[in-house]
Amino acid sequence: MKKTGFLFDERYLIHDTGPYHPEVSDRLLAAYQGIKKAGLLEKLVLFKGVRVDLKWVEEVHDPAYIARFGDACVAGKKEMDTPDCQMCAETYEIALLAVGGILEALRRMMEGEIDNAFCPVRPPGHHAERSRAMGFCYFNNIAIAARYLQKEWRIGRVGIVDFDVHHGNGTQHLFEDDPTVFYYSIHEHPSFAFPGTGREFEEGVGAGTGYTKNSPVLPGQGDDEYRRLIKRDLIPAFETFRPEIILVSTGFDAHEDDEMADMRVTTEGFNWIMETIVGLADTYAGGRLVSILEGGYSLQRLPELVGNHVRILLGDPPGALQNNG
Amino acid sequence: MLVGKSMTSKVITIDKNESLFTARELMRKNNIRHLPVVDGENRPVGIVTDRDLRSAMPYRIYRNPDTAQAESERIAKLKVSDIMTADPVTIPLTYTIQDALLLIQEKRFGAFPVVDDEGKLVGMISVRDLLRAFINVLGIGEPGSLIGILVEEKVGQLKRIVDVVTEENISFGSVLVARYGEKGKRAVFPYLLTNNVIRVKKRLQEIGFKLIDPMDWYIDQLNR
Repeated sequence: MKKTGFLFDERYLIHDTGPYHPEVSDRLLAAYQGIKKAGLLEKLVLFKGVRVDLKWVEEVHDPAYIARFGDACVAGKKEMDTPDCQMCAETYEIALLAVGGILEALRRMMEGEIDNAFCPVRPPGHHAERSRAMGFCYFNNIAIAARYLQKEWRIGRVGIVDFDVHHGNGTQHLFEDDPTVFYYSIHEHPSFAFPGTGREFEEGVGAGTGYTKNSPVLPGQGDDEYRRLIKRDLIPAFETFRPEIILVSTGFDAHEDDEMADMRVTTEGFNWIMETIVGLADTYAGGRLVSILEGGYSLQRLPELVGNHVRILLGDPPGALQNNG
Repeated sequence: MLVGKSMTSKVITIDKNESLFTARELMRKNNIRHLPVVDGENRPVGIVTDRDLRSAMPYRIYRNPDTAQAESERIAKLKVSDIMTADPVTIPLTYTIQDALLLIQEKRFGAFPVVDDEGKLVGMISVRDLLRAFINVLGIGEPGSLIGILVEEKVGQLKRIVDVVTEENISFGSVLVARYGEKGKRAVFPYLLTNNVIRVKKRLQEIGFKLIDPMDWYIDQLNR
């Protein structure tokens, strides 16, 4: 069994998106309950968030944008750049705690205390652009994590896998010209779903050409199509790229019971996806992998999905995984 | 939506007495496929396309050593005026994008010279320019989500949709209304500038609208 870190911090519940917003604090409570009910809490290395040093955020975001975000919260503004990004006075501080918590997971992994980690943070990050909040996201958590690994721990090649149902436009744009970070995303086809990027022909620019790979999935598809595309696109890409560490943008919103999108992935399908990614980390990255939560809005399904996700990280026998219903 | 706003104004032109090699070089250098031919007063007298050039100087003739020399000499003597389409269809600056779209469909041309009141060349409008305009109109460059709604073909349906979307504090990127296979029905496709479509979809269904399965969306019902 592996030593798996679990970033859990009640302060992530404070980020308030107002009434009628799907990205709510109950999501994290559902995730926690799922881990607890599966009897996995005692097997995990728990740790809390810490406020990130701003220099790491500035690796990815424009300082003027960071200041604008902080000022908006202090001024009591309820949204940032788009009505999708609803927030409260504390959102800026919570976002810094989220990034800091993820870097804490990476530090512990690099120092050998843990093998991998699950970081269910709020707010999520993969839509955040260099100077723009978008799609419930303010700071691009996973992008900052990749830069931290490269700068602080001299990691050469970082592989990012994003299986949130929406394309991670922010992450792609931040690394599209960079051959040291491979961005792979599988998501609902952008002609049907937010944010309208992540088409098959987007494969990076300049020196980064060939280091971005997108697998858009047509609406109504499920496990079979995800399996086919991951085998066709992700596995050979990482065989060539050989990531030294894998970072995962984990989203559970492609689930058949999630109303956010039109996909039909089952709980078993998510198990297969995560087992496959962990397998890639074992093959190329000495098992080093950090999973960062993005979307997933079905409060009924999140407990079992997160429970299984963490069990796979731990390398517990797969027979113990829960299935639908 | 006037073509003047969407056309390419920096037009590369050619004189009718120039050689085909010059025409080919101009197209290659500027990455264009249509070269308007103008007279001394900048009036279009013809248009030459990459296809005209290809048929006039086919690659295969160079491969036959017996004829290559003669063919090269023959081609070297040809002028743009020998292969151009004379008196090309031009469109005035005041035409709309819709006019241009319909003309392109009808005439099956890839581009039109655009002329001012005096008939002088002021730009070229091509399928590429119109596509750019269409991408802009659809709003697909902006982050958003498309939903498809089946509505009765009667007055007031769009208002009900707009009301719900507005109450959900969502902005519109664009709205398409398309014919639908079923008689008396229309398909409405609002492109919503949001990630958050759960509630708006639910509320539209609550007031009696049917959402169209995304795999059944189609907007192309024209005869080809």
